[in-house]
Amino acid sequence: MTILATEGLTKRFPRVTALDRLTVTAGSGVTGLVGANGAGKSTLIKILLGLLPPTEGRATVLGFDPGTQALDIRHVVGYMPEHDCLPPDVSATEFTVHMAQMSGLPRTAARERAADTLRHVGLYEERYRPIGGYSTGMRQRVKLAQALVHDPKLVFLDEPTNGLDPQGRDDMLALIRRIGTEFGISVVVTSHLLGELERVCDHVIVIDGGRLLRSSAIGEFTQATHSILVEVEEGADRLAARLGEIGRQVTPLGRMLSVEAGSPDTFNVVRDAVCDLDLSLVRLEQGRHRIEDVFREEASHV
Amino acid sequence: MSETIPAPVGAPTGVIHDIGYRHYEGPRHGRGHAFAALAVHSLRGVFGLGRTARAKIMPFGLGAVMMLPAAVSIAIMALIKREGLTYPSYTVTMQAVLAVYLAAQAPYLVAPDLRFRVLPLYLSRPVKTGDYVAAKLTAMAAALFLLVAVPLTTLYIGELLIDLPGPPHTHDYFAALGTSVVYAVLLASVGVALASFTPRRGLGVASVIAVYLLSSAISGVLVGVLMSVSRDSAAQWAWLINPFFLVDAVQVWLFGTAPNNGDGYPAGAGGPFAAAVVLAIIAVSVTALVLRYRKAASS
Repeated sequence: MTILATEGLTKRFPRVTALDRLTVTAGSGVTGLVGANGAGKSTLIKILLGLLPPTEGRATVLGFDPGTQALDIRHVVGYMPEHDCLPPDVSATEFTVHMAQMSGLPRTAARERAADTLRHVGLYEERYRPIGGYSTGMRQRVKLAQALVHDPKLVFLDEPTNGLDPQGRDDMLALIRRIGTEFGISVVVTSHLLGELERVCDHVIVIDGGRLLRSSAIGEFTQATHSILVEVEEGADRLAARLGEIGRQVTPLGRMLSVEAGSPDTFNVVRDAVCDLDLSLVRLEQGRHRIEDVFREEASHV
Repeated sequence: MSETIPAPVGAPTGVIHDIGYRHYEGPRHGRGHAFAALAVHSLRGVFGLGRTARAKIMPFGLGAVMMLPAAVSIAIMALIKREGLTYPSYTVTMQAVLAVYLAAQAPYLVAPDLRFRVLPLYLSRPVKTGDYVAAKLTAMAAALFLLVAVPLTTLYIGELLIDLPGPPHTHDYFAALGTSVVYAVLLASVGVALASFTPRRGLGVASVIAVYLLSSAISGVLVGVLMSVSRDSAAQWAWLINPFFLVDAVQVWLFGTAPNNGDGYPAGAGGPFAAAVVLAIIAVSVTALVLRYRKAASS
């Protein structure tokens, strides 16, 4: 089922083109929207919510047109902005109840849903205290709760892991995965870290400078950028030369070497090479694909 | 030594059931519901309800001050059987209190949503920008109306109970009540419009109070100067620069009450002119608000 689709979507601001003829589709489940800062992710979300009119092109969200049916969309869509958006002097409970009412829920239902949702995102006793005293992790949870409180069919999460420590990041990602699977709510989540989204998304869309770089299921992604990272204490250049001799593509990455994994035995080949040269192996791991890798690769295709 | 009692098999003791995520199947109301929810939420907030104790001091303190003349008038009526403060003069007499209330509370309504960027959350819900503006204006106008109508009504009930010689001033009471609606709408739209241009509450407070002080000072100085050079009819026009006397002129024109500035308003064209100016100020303020929020919505 297609939850959102754009066709030649363009948004030009007086000084900058935020989206340039973007044509993408996303189905149900968790969709990652990846791009560097300023790639047009937030602009795309705003257009899809009907908050900004596009300069050109068309879009549909859950079968509605953001230009003319924005209110229908906003009834069944949740939005978690990237920036801080919480008043400090009310409690999480009060705020979430109020936001549920703003989405059209009657008061009693709003109270019930707010209590449920805050529990699901992991806020317990502290939800009765004013938001001003919350940690960043708790604030992110409240922001997520207000996006889910009216039981939407789709949520837009703009950089939900921003500012979180590694543990908080993991918790948030696990929660996003649960929303997409257990809760049955489709998710569009943005990030500038591809590695982060790999863990929770079914489908990833990469945009850069407002243009589509790539849109594919997560499986295809990891295969396309398969590499192994090797770090040795010293003699990295000797190892690179050795691997190059036996026909492996090696690129130095700072103190590490990135080896193209052409075949499944690459790990063995690297291990043997390290043993033969009598080097001290520090680390040997699956390459982490950062957004830059995709950009570099796509640029070389063009 | 206590005996260990084997737990009965199959009897659940204090099990927490994780019922998982439940979908919401109930009704989803439209814009009207959201408008009402926001207006009520804002009105409660203006009086400090649902906020900290400190937030209640200002609105309730000023509310008490607004009640004082009513209480004193009732006492005068009860003790010496004379009328105290008249209904049509109530608001003009208490104008400084109303101005302080407006300056203190209008920024609360709009500034935090801008400063803490709550506005995008409202606008991503099924409401239009105009609904948000209308709800905030309704809340401010209702608060100002309550601030004036409650003492007026108390005074009227007092008058009926004490039963002064002669008929009760029912016409005056309803004239004042009707005029307080005009006061409430005019003051709310100007106050909220001024406050919405800065996300800083302090600046909002300062700008609203400055506009009131400036208009009343300019009006006062002009009246004084024009009277001293014996241009009395020009002085009557100068009174209208103060928004409170402007609305008073409308009250005189609409309900035939006695003017509260001492020497009356321009005869003939004065009343309709004042009414037109009131409407124009409201229209300009509301337009400014809508434009302001339309811009905020798209950024």
